[in-house]
Amino acid sequence: MKTKKIVTLILASMLAVSSLAACSNGGGTGATDATTGAGGETQATSGEKEIVDFTMFAAMSGKEKDANNDIQEIIAQKTGVRVKETWLTGQDAGEAIGSIIASGKLPDLIDGGDGSVTLYENGLLVAWDDYLEKYPNLKEMYTDEEWDKFRMDDGHIYWANVFGNSYNHINTATGQNGEAFWIQVRVLEWANYPKIETLDEYFKLLEDYAAANPELPDGTPVIPYTCLCEDWKYYCLENAPMFLDGYPNDGCCIVNIDAGMDKPKVVDYNTTDTAKMYFKKLNEEYAKGAIDPDFATQTYDEYIAKLSTGRVLGLCDQYWDFAYNIMGPFASPLQATDGTEFRLDQIGCDYVPLGLVAKKGMSQQWHSYDDELNQSSGCAVTTSCKDPDLAFAFLSALLDQDIHDLRFWGIEGVDYLVDENGLYYRTEEMRENWKSDSYKAKHTCEYSYCPQWMGMSRDGINRMQPGEQPSEFVLSLAEPLKKCFEAYGVGTYVEFLNSEKVVNAPWYPLWSWSNSISSDTPGGVAWKKMGETKHLWLPTVVMSKDFESDWAAYQAAYAECEPEKFLEEAQAEVNKRLETAQSYGWTPN
Amino acid sequence: MIMADIQQVSFERIKHKKKMATEDLIFTILNTTFLVLFAVVTLYPVLNTLAYSFNEGNDAVRGGIYFLPRKWSWRNYEEILFERPGIRVGAKITVLRTIIGTLTSLAANALLSYILSRKKFLFKSGMSLFWIITMYASGGMIPVLILFRYLHLTSSFWVYVIPGMVSAFNVMVMRTYMLGIPDSLEEAAQLEGAGYMRVFVSIITPLCKPVYATIALFVAVYHWNSWFDAMLYNRFDPQYTTLQYELMKLLDSVSATTGATSGAAMTAATANTITPITVRAAASIATMAPIIALYPFLQRYFVTGLTIGGVKE
Amino acid sequence: MEISTSKSKKQKPVDIDKPKLTVKEFKRQWILVVISVIYVIYGIIFYYLPLAGWIIAFQDFKYNKGISGSKWVGFDKFKFLFSDKTFLMVIRNTFCMGALNLIFSTVVAIAFAILLNEVKNKYFKKSIQTISYLPHFLSWIIVVAIVHDALTSTGIINDILMRLHIVQTPFPFLARPEWFWPIVTLSNLWKETGWNAIIYLAAITSIDPCLYESASIDGAGRFQKMLYVTLPGLRPTIMILLLMNIGNVLNAGFELQYLLGNGLVQNVSRTIDIYVLNWALDARNLDYSLGTAAGIFKTVVSMTFIVVSNYIAKKKGDERLF
Repeated sequence: MKTKKIVTLILASMLAVSSLAACSNGGGTGATDATTGAGGETQATSGEKEIVDFTMFAAMSGKEKDANNDIQEIIAQKTGVRVKETWLTGQDAGEAIGSIIASGKLPDLIDGGDGSVTLYENGLLVAWDDYLEKYPNLKEMYTDEEWDKFRMDDGHIYWANVFGNSYNHINTATGQNGEAFWIQVRVLEWANYPKIETLDEYFKLLEDYAAANPELPDGTPVIPYTCLCEDWKYYCLENAPMFLDGYPNDGCCIVNIDAGMDKPKVVDYNTTDTAKMYFKKLNEEYAKGAIDPDFATQTYDEYIAKLSTGRVLGLCDQYWDFAYNIMGPFASPLQATDGTEFRLDQIGCDYVPLGLVAKKGMSQQWHSYDDELNQSSGCAVTTSCKDPDLAFAFLSALLDQDIHDLRFWGIEGVDYLVDENGLYYRTEEMRENWKSDSYKAKHTCEYSYCPQWMGMSRDGINRMQPGEQPSEFVLSLAEPLKKCFEAYGVGTYVEFLNSEKVVNAPWYPLWSWSNSISSDTPGGVAWKKMGETKHLWLPTVVMSKDFESDWAAYQAAYAECEPEKFLEEAQAEVNKRLETAQSYGWTPN
Repeated sequence: MIMADIQQVSFERIKHKKKMATEDLIFTILNTTFLVLFAVVTLYPVLNTLAYSFNEGNDAVRGGIYFLPRKWSWRNYEEILFERPGIRVGAKITVLRTIIGTLTSLAANALLSYILSRKKFLFKSGMSLFWIITMYASGGMIPVLILFRYLHLTSSFWVYVIPGMVSAFNVMVMRTYMLGIPDSLEEAAQLEGAGYMRVFVSIITPLCKPVYATIALFVAVYHWNSWFDAMLYNRFDPQYTTLQYELMKLLDSVSATTGATSGAAMTAATANTITPITVRAAASIATMAPIIALYPFLQRYFVTGLTIGGVKE
Repeated sequence: MEISTSKSKKQKPVDIDKPKLTVKEFKRQWILVVISVIYVIYGIIFYYLPLAGWIIAFQDFKYNKGISGSKWVGFDKFKFLFSDKTFLMVIRNTFCMGALNLIFSTVVAIAFAILLNEVKNKYFKKSIQTISYLPHFLSWIIVVAIVHDALTSTGIINDILMRLHIVQTPFPFLARPEWFWPIVTLSNLWKETGWNAIIYLAAITSIDPCLYESASIDGAGRFQKMLYVTLPGLRPTIMILLLMNIGNVLNAGFELQYLLGNGLVQNVSRTIDIYVLNWALDARNLDYSLGTAAGIFKTVVSMTFIVVSNYIAKKKGDERLF
């Protein structure tokens, strides 16, 4: 109580001083008079519907839209709401969420990312429960069982993850958005489209090709293989053993089901024989010079720059991490040493995913066919929002098919055309527009961290998002890539990768848990230390001159982090998820 | 006086002077070479950034650009100067805060330095210590935010001007300079009946032009470059955004990504957020230009400062 | 002619004419006292009130519970810090990089200012000065990208070394822990020397030209004048800046190390600020208490450095802070 009094006293004196300050400075320039904008104040637009301005913050990096963005205005006319999106700048999510809370000024809508739970704990979010009943569009997003996964310990739902959610639960992905060992199609073409299954075959092919074709047409020397190790993106180096053993991307460990689906056992993929085999292979390849000498120290920018020159033959990464950033450079003309022009995508520099395994003939799960539910964060409405009902109405309206089409396909006639069968298609120019940052800033408005669908559109003809439209997909492929798909008799990346078709286990994906564990528990502390140790040791063993002794030293340092504490908590989480599923009637079949 | 000296110069002295002249020449050559080299080395990052800022985006991603752009393009400047939301508001606020902030801060720092440089001031040590502590002790970001919120400084323009007005570092630099001004000047003025404030305004201030110019430059550059306060205190008040904050949003869009979406959740709409290096380079150059233009203007005072000695007699 | 040589002589400690607190003296300088009171009020509000936040270092502070509701844990947070080997390592890193930076940036900036001052041609002098401080305006993101690029296996540094046959294969500068501190120090010098020199250049202008004249008459050459006139003239400024910057040794930085570091050099690259970011500002578990504890530690060390070095300066009769 005493502290409370003192605090009140201090605050009162602060207030007194502040009013003084306000008086003495109020008469300054007119620059500070403007009070439009935040907080959902209404602005009358000439004679039309009143449009409410909301603010939204996403604790991710992103790009702001221009004021008077075309599609934003159309959506504003239809829904009566215009949202100004703000992103993370120069802070990480934790700092940003902390300072937003302390400043007392919240946006109307928020995606707190890793900080979502902090927002909930501070009572700053509005529960979705009542609004879910009112707005069927929102309710439709998930099944009751899935919604229950979003429930916090007070029994309410405060956010909905908006990504990777297919309409009617039919996942229609054409691409492998996740991880794989990627290889340029020209390498496969050169070797007459062989079947590549193991690391040995993969690296042998890369080496052979590099020996036979050491340079690109413009004289740039090729790099057989590179690997990103920067910050959290070191998964490119780190988690392959999990996939090589045939397991899906649980992110933090293997969940072994040899004893039956109802007796899952958490296994550490960092200490398996496959892990040692994989790093030993990398070590040998590094010694041979087949791996980029700068792999351990390169920054993300340098990595993208390297890939953009087309000189990297193979890499291990998740598709979204590299592909979108190299599309532009791959499609622009270059000058060869003999003076002719060429384009990287036309000489076969595009990458296709390979589902490598530890032993020939094994099945693998690099691709997961079902949606992956990440309940740890999502789109939320804050208590600062003056009209939460309007906010939910807006989020619901965003899922209306016409507005959803506006968000992801654009304006009919401008951004896409419709053929006699009702199929949406785009011209080359339209596709190029949607790759341009400045066009996107002034014209498109995805509201990318608000509720959205993947999969089949409600019309049963088109896809919710153009990237999944099969016709669009084929058209966007460069010639060598098409040839490669034909040679292997497949139509999409997914078919090419040919992962085992399995139904997602009830605990899958476990990364939705490991991404949000805090250093509050012994397991969380161990997880953090394991990360730091691997950051130091994995590149070290790859570059080592004496692999065996360095591997032993690494394993010793790793054991010191007490990974068993982490695994214990992971096991508990798996069991918990399994029980929840069982309470909904899930049985191992 | 010099004439008298010269008459006393002996033959030895002349020889000595000749030797000095050769020494002088060698020194000048070495010194000039060194400084030119130094200038080239320090100019490189700027030239490199300049080259990138005029290069076409997709081409620049491939790297390998050093002094000159490979594929010329104005596009990057168009993009940041005409197409970015908030750039115009940001520019206005930044200019305002630079002017108001520099003037108020200069006055506040100068007056405090004056007081602390008075050798007879009774609370000199205590007051100095009081301000020096402020340089190293900080309550941290969160308590400051809460304080500003109660002072109604958040969501306002004045948060840029008032809290940082007095800087102990600048005060110490100014005080050191003022301590170098002979007491005799002050004493003479005081004999003529001038009070402390009078001495400050009409005697100390004119003599302190070089250090005032230095501090003004420091403060102006600080105001011009700051963006963190705009984000912290006026995050959802776009009418108080600053130029650097707007550009920082471009510069920083890659480095801050966290691992939250490391699943297959990234889509084309969310993943493609990397700002082209060329746009970042253009943003850097665009903000450097005005503040650099200010420098020659202030540089004058560094040179005129040389005449102080004459006043001292 | 009497030349005022107050600056060329060693400054005598001012204690001799230390004013005595008398009513008469107080009345005489009432205006100074009144203004000081205003400054003190300002300082208390903006600098000292937030220090109240320090009490959360002794709590397990949870934002939603507030200061009154959070659990008191005494020195637990400090115990956590000092029992963590990593924290002791980051203290070492921060201190060493801070000290290296302090020494080299001071020496090089002074040398640069003095050499620049020797240039006779006004335009040349102005151009060099303007160019030298340009990199200060580039953000670390840009500068680190350039440094990083130059140090890769195909970068300009390795290119030169290989052409000169100093090395046979590219040297992995960025992967070697022993190279990290020198790279950080050099990057700092590269970006900030010109800027740091501004203060010294301004201070040089206050040196009485008569001193140079009389030195010439006494037969001093260029070097001697630099050593015996310019350098002593800069002494007060150097001392004050040195004293202040000694307190900043533990603020060796964040951005540069964060951007330049990688997994292989993490044991020498992480600073206190990076540690705090990793452990205290984790979005999943905002531990302000831990961050504040680290902040208090830094302040205590800084103040100790300042008080000790100020005391030494006072003993030696040099310029001092308080």
